[in-house]
Amino acid sequence: MKTACLWTLTAGALTLLTGCTLRRDTRHAGTTIEVAVFEGGYGIEWHKSVARRYEAEHPGVRVNLWGDPRVDEKVRPRILRRNPPDLASANLPVWKLIVAGKLYPLDEALDSPAYGVPGKTWRETMVPGTLGDFAYQGKTYAAPTALGAWVCWYNKRQFRKHGWEVPRTWSEFTALCDRMKAAGVAPLAFQGKYPGYAWATLLSLYQRLVPFERWYAMQDFKPGAFLDPDFVKAARLLQNMAVRHFQPGAMAMTHTESQLEWVNGRAAMVFCGLWLKNEMKSAIPEGFEMACFPVPMVDGGKGDPNAVYGGGAENFCVFADAKHPREGADFLKYLLSMESARSYTLRLDTLAPVAGSTDGLPISQELQSVVEVLRRSSRVFQDRISGLYLEFGATVLQQAQADLISNRITPEEFARRLEAGAEAARRNPDIYKPEPMGVPEG
Amino acid sequence: MAAIGERREVRGKRRGARGERFSCLSALASGLKYAFLLAYLVAVVFPVCWVFYTSAKSTRQIYENPFGLPRAITGPSAESVKPLIENYRTAWVGSRFSRYFLNSVVVVGISLASIVLLGSMAAYVLARFTFRLRSLAYLLFVCGLLIPTQLVLIPLFFQFSDIGEGLTRLLGPPVRALGLGELTVSLHDSHIGLILIYVAFSLPFTVFTLTAFFRTLPGELREAAMMDGAGEYRIFFSVMAPLGKPGIVTVAIFNFLGLWNEYLFGLVFLSDDRLKTLPLGLASISMQAQYKSDFGLLFAALVIAMVPTMVVYMVLQEKLTRGITLGALKG
Amino acid sequence: MRREARGKRQGCRGVGQALFILSFLGPALLLYAFIVLWPALNAFRYSLYNWDGLSEPRWAGLGNFRAIVASGSEFIPAIRNNLFLTFVPGILTLSLALFFAYTIHQRIRGARLFRVAFFFPNVISGVAVALLWTLIYSTTDVGLLNGLLKLLGRTEPIAFTESGNLLWAIVPMSVWSATGFFMVLFLAAMENIPETYYEAARLDGASSGSQFRHITLPLMWDVLTTGIVFLVVGGLKFFDAIFVMENGKPGKVTHTMATLLYSKVFNEYNMGYGTAISVMLFLLVLAATLVSLRLMRRERLEY
Repeated sequence: MKTACLWTLTAGALTLLTGCTLRRDTRHAGTTIEVAVFEGGYGIEWHKSVARRYEAEHPGVRVNLWGDPRVDEKVRPRILRRNPPDLASANLPVWKLIVAGKLYPLDEALDSPAYGVPGKTWRETMVPGTLGDFAYQGKTYAAPTALGAWVCWYNKRQFRKHGWEVPRTWSEFTALCDRMKAAGVAPLAFQGKYPGYAWATLLSLYQRLVPFERWYAMQDFKPGAFLDPDFVKAARLLQNMAVRHFQPGAMAMTHTESQLEWVNGRAAMVFCGLWLKNEMKSAIPEGFEMACFPVPMVDGGKGDPNAVYGGGAENFCVFADAKHPREGADFLKYLLSMESARSYTLRLDTLAPVAGSTDGLPISQELQSVVEVLRRSSRVFQDRISGLYLEFGATVLQQAQADLISNRITPEEFARRLEAGAEAARRNPDIYKPEPMGVPEG
Repeated sequence: MAAIGERREVRGKRRGARGERFSCLSALASGLKYAFLLAYLVAVVFPVCWVFYTSAKSTRQIYENPFGLPRAITGPSAESVKPLIENYRTAWVGSRFSRYFLNSVVVVGISLASIVLLGSMAAYVLARFTFRLRSLAYLLFVCGLLIPTQLVLIPLFFQFSDIGEGLTRLLGPPVRALGLGELTVSLHDSHIGLILIYVAFSLPFTVFTLTAFFRTLPGELREAAMMDGAGEYRIFFSVMAPLGKPGIVTVAIFNFLGLWNEYLFGLVFLSDDRLKTLPLGLASISMQAQYKSDFGLLFAALVIAMVPTMVVYMVLQEKLTRGITLGALKG
Repeated sequence: MRREARGKRQGCRGVGQALFILSFLGPALLLYAFIVLWPALNAFRYSLYNWDGLSEPRWAGLGNFRAIVASGSEFIPAIRNNLFLTFVPGILTLSLALFFAYTIHQRIRGARLFRVAFFFPNVISGVAVALLWTLIYSTTDVGLLNGLLKLLGRTEPIAFTESGNLLWAIVPMSVWSATGFFMVLFLAAMENIPETYYEAARLDGASSGSQFRHITLPLMWDVLTTGIVFLVVGGLKFFDAIFVMENGKPGKVTHTMATLLYSKVFNEYNMGYGTAISVMLFLLVLAATLVSLRLMRRERLEY
């Protein structure tokens, strides 16, 4: 007995040390699917609960699911080592992977019967338009597990206390900000350590100014698109807002630090996605009421005033080099089953990209305001530049935004820099450029 | 001590000759000097103390009173030490800091033992024997002092993948044939892999320093042992290595501090959470703390990460500074 | 005579001794060649290819090097940041370390305490130092420094760790964590200078300032140069603090060569570009070391 213990201990220690794994009797023990999840605002509790249910329904399958706020740092090297997990939601150079054939197409699974919706395939249960973001040569390489929207959150009690009202136009918004400042409250918290948080706001403002043909021309990297005077105008609106209304010191705050300022009432509003409530869950004081409104329409703008920046989010992909890609795709399908989608909404106060998944659910007050925004919206639109053109996103865009917000460059210079970055990407033959998408249906 | 006294006396005489004004200025200067030293002392010590005592506060208490002493110090009671216990429990158990700590102990421990053994053996041979290719071997090690880790990082990353795949392909089939199961070998995500890297990268400095050290040892002892009929191996392990102990200890301390704090290799070569070393664990806890807005946890984690090197420093402080001295005199 | 005797002995047990040498030197050399030398040589080969780590590598010649020095490349700002992080904290560190070493060398009261305390930050890991200073600099209520400024009457917090200010914010941190080591190094060198030199100078009526200039500095020149080499090489390889304080995502104004290399390789899968950076880094380290060695030799001859 003692020796057996000793042997097990030694074997365990050796496994840890050498990285040799010896999986015994794989045929009988069944398969283990490894799932790596970005542990951000939504956490991984929901994913874990789905995994447990999946295991219960699929005897012989184990789901090894883990999460990390910096999951990218772990998954990216493992892809290079040709030893990736089976599926992951991480910030990856997805298009490089797709073009190099390193992602596993989901179409076979998408065309198989969905979990929990009799008579329909998985593809048919998804909210229309959510699968198009990572399509390449007629195949689909990623599926979102969340439906996102970019909105402005506010502290309802604070608004009531001061008699502030939700603004509908940009001039109302600016006037409100001035009143907040006068009342001694910073109008806007901002996640300054990650200037990328401004990109969705900027693109929303630009959308308010121009028809979709022009908005999507920029997405297609049409020469000169960033030099559009209306884009410069949108950049100026953003810069003015940042200079006058961002909380002092915001540029050194991480997302949670700045959101904490908002939760604690030091700042009245914050632009963010739907994960905000869950991200700040443990820090939200009792009796805190939050609600949101869409990015206000810009006076005199020619864009659709009711469109909302949003769409599929928290994308998962399956790796071609993985040990069990088929099983991984099946688990992804299960993550998007009707039941999982409903538990997603119930647990995390957010929306899943499964059609009809909120029907008949008791919906929290916060989510109600999101649902309101989406119900009133005419259509959704979403950026794909920063995912497609990594170097553009990581070097040009990030820096230019930081400089714009900190008032170090003019909006014109900002636009020129982005155009120069786009031009460099256009000229570089090593960067994959998809077919122009035009204005998608939706 | 006598020398210092003398020096003061000499200086005093000179002052007397130059007059009172000079002495006044000089006293002022030395006062300023002292004030500056004290100010720097506060700048060095206070932030660390601040981290220590803040780790006894809950996040809410930190926000309410960021700089004051925690209640656990001002009014110790079962209630007031709760945040302290909570923070350290979350860090040690909840955030797997105990695991990271153990990993660091294992990786750094085995690495140090191997470095000292391999390094002193190689240095001894390079210092005390003449043979062909000796200067080439020495030169190769010295070259290593100039190779930045970043130069090696990327090729080594793929080299490890290839070796892992090769070994799996080689050893997999026989193991399967024996009915033992599926074997996968990998130098990534393994402590052995990281240890190999740590040892190899510490060798240039270790060999360089110890070679210089072994050269200074008297040769007579070796001759005498040889007369007694001891073999070369015996001579090394029972005569020369013990003599080289001061040098070896110095090298070991330096390598300990370097490896215990190493970040980049760990970041690239370890993806598995269970295998992480302390600096990696600390970085990931800081992310967690950020996402959960749990500053108490972050302060506690910082304390746990700092304490081991602090203890080593306190205990081996004299040896460490003597080691730097030794290095300095060698140039 | 002794060499003769050794020669004889070598003759009669040459094989045994060769085996001994091999068994002692072999393991270390083999491991070192395999983990350090071979990949280091390979890096030069990698830098000549275009490779995403996923598909087949394509020959690029010097294309990667052309790309990193091209205008608008991130390498140029990165190297500028490295130089900043080498020289600005470096000069401060050296001056402070010299000053402290000289003062402590005069056996002032509490010398031991100062020596032990000042060295202390050197034993904290780079990650921990970076996190500690992130907390010191925080713009939220946790921040120590902004808290102090508030007490002094400043209403708006200063965004120390904003990317535009980060390099400056790293200066005090870097000085804080490095000064102790150099102080101990210089102190050792000073203690090695014979007291008689000073006595002779004093008899000639030399002031303490001129003693420092004419005796202390020249006689510790070697050690000073060693210190400079350490600082320069450390500055060129700067990684941990930037990576931690920028949460793994440095931008153009905060990248150093090492963080740029990491993000090119592991975020953008651009192996050729990344290794080209590492080759440049190596060449810079080599050049810095050779220049310093050269300086050291010349000065030594002068004395």
